[in-house]
Amino acid sequence: MAVLECKELTKRYGAAQALNHVNLQIEPGRIVGLLGPNGSGKTTLIKLANGLLTPTEGEILVCGNVPGRESHACVSYLPERTAIPTWMSAAQLMDFYGDFYQDFRRDAAEEMLKRLEISPRQRIKQMSKGTREKVQLIMVMSRAAQLYLLDEPIGGVDPATRDYILSTIITNYNPEAAVIISTHLISDVEKVLDDVIFINQGQVVLQSSVDQIREEKGMSVDALFREVFKC
Amino acid sequence: MLRKLLKHEFRATARIMVPVYLVLLVTALGANFSTRGILKTPYAVLNILGSLLVMAFVVAIMAVCVVSFLLMIQRFYKNLLRDEGYLMLTLPASIHQQVWSKLIVSSVWFIITGVVVMLSFVMMALDVSFLEGMVQVLQQLFQDITAYYAINGTVFLLELLVLAFAGSIAFCLQFYAALAIGHSFSNHKFAWSVAFFFILQFASQLVGSLLLLSLNTSLINSLLGSLDFRVSGMTAIHIGMGILIAVCVVYSAVFYVITTYFLKKHLNLE
Repeated sequence: MAVLECKELTKRYGAAQALNHVNLQIEPGRIVGLLGPNGSGKTTLIKLANGLLTPTEGEILVCGNVPGRESHACVSYLPERTAIPTWMSAAQLMDFYGDFYQDFRRDAAEEMLKRLEISPRQRIKQMSKGTREKVQLIMVMSRAAQLYLLDEPIGGVDPATRDYILSTIITNYNPEAAVIISTHLISDVEKVLDDVIFINQGQVVLQSSVDQIREEKGMSVDALFREVFKC
Repeated sequence: MLRKLLKHEFRATARIMVPVYLVLLVTALGANFSTRGILKTPYAVLNILGSLLVMAFVVAIMAVCVVSFLLMIQRFYKNLLRDEGYLMLTLPASIHQQVWSKLIVSSVWFIITGVVVMLSFVMMALDVSFLEGMVQVLQQLFQDITAYYAINGTVFLLELLVLAFAGSIAFCLQFYAALAIGHSFSNHKFAWSVAFFFILQFASQLVGSLLLLSLNTSLINSLLGSLDFRVSGMTAIHIGMGILIAVCVVYSAVFYVITTYFLKKHLNLE
C-alpha cells in the first residue's frame, strides 16, 4: 500500500494556484527527492500531507487516511522552520516526543545528541540556529515512523552539517518507511535518493527513479534538473 | 491524548504562573509588615520603604491578573498559530483536544489567580489571630446560611465554581475565535485578529440585544404573567445561576464552533 497518495490534488490560495491536479503515489522503502525551484509547491504538498492545509480539490491520503490524528501518528515531519518550543531543554523535548509518539526511540535520540556533543540539559533557546535544527532533526529521525516528510532539511546549514544530516537520515530511518526530502539543493541530496519527483508551478513534471535517469538520460539528477528548469 | 496535552500545557504555563504567584505572596507579606510596623516608625527612610512595599503589592496584584490574561492569549497564539503550530498541530491529537487543553488550563489558572489574589489580601491585612477568627466567622456564616435560609450552601458554591469555569471558557473563546479567523488570512494576521475581535463583539452584542428585545413581546409577557411562579427565594437563586451558566455555555458554543472550524478548514500557518 502506498504511504502517500495524491489524487487530482489541487490547492489554491485565492487566485494563485499552488498545486494543480497532482497525482502521485509513494511506496514504502524509498527515499524520494521532492525537487523543484522556490515557490513550485513543495511545501504546500508537504503541508497538505500534514493536515496543516486543506485541499481545494482532490484528495490526499497518508498511510491510507485523510490527514488527521491517525495519519499524524505514522508521519514524522520536519518543518522548514524551527518549531520546537525554545523554552524546553533537549531532555524535556525528549519527554514531550516520548509522551506523544509511541514510536519515539529515546535511546536513539540520546545517542545522537551525545555524538553531536549537545547537552540534554541545555535549553533550545541557548542553542545556535544550526544546533536547533540538528536537535529538531534528531527528534524527527528518532521516531520509527512509516513516512518521514522532511521539508528543506539542509536548507540553512553548512556543508559539513549537511553531510551529517544526510547520514543521520539514511542511517536512522525505518527501512520499511518512505522518506520524502523536499529541497532545491539537489547535488547535496542526490547521492541518498532512490526516486525523484520534479515539481514546477504546482504540477508534477517528472517522477522517476534515480537509476533510470542515469541510464536513460545519461546524466545526473542535478544536470537533468538544470536542463528541465532552465530559466 | 487530552491528558497528555493538559500535562504539557500545565508544564509550559506553570513555569510562568508559579513564580508570579510567589512574588505576589511575598509582596503581600512585605505589605503586611509595612502596615503593621514599618509605616508606624518615626524614621523617614523606613516610611518610604514601607510605602514602596505597599505599592509593590498593588503592582503585583495587577501583574498577576495581566500575566494570566496575556498568557492565555500567548499560549494559543504562539503555540498553535506561530512556528510551534507546526509541531503542535501535527501531534496525534484532534483540534478539539488542542483547543480544550488550552481552555481548561487557562480557566484553571484564572480561578487559581482569583484564589491567590484573595489569599494575598488576607496575608496583607491580617495577623494570625485575626485569620483564625475569620475562618470561624466564615464557617459560622456558611452553617447559618444553610440552616436558617435553607440555601444548600454546597450546591451554591458548586454553582459558583461552574459559573466561574464556564465564564472563563467563554472569555477565552472570544479571543481564540478572533485569532483563528485572523490567522486564516495570508497577511496582516494579527491586525485581522484584532479587527475580528471587535467585529465578533459587536455581532454578539447585537444578537444579545435583539434577543432581549424579542423577549419583550406582549405574547411572552402575557405568557409569563399567566404563569404562577411559586418558588422560594433560594430556588430562584439556583434558577438564576442555572440561567447564567446556560447563557455562558451557549455563548461559548458559538465561539467554539468558529474557532475549531477555522483551525480545521482554514489554517494558514506562515
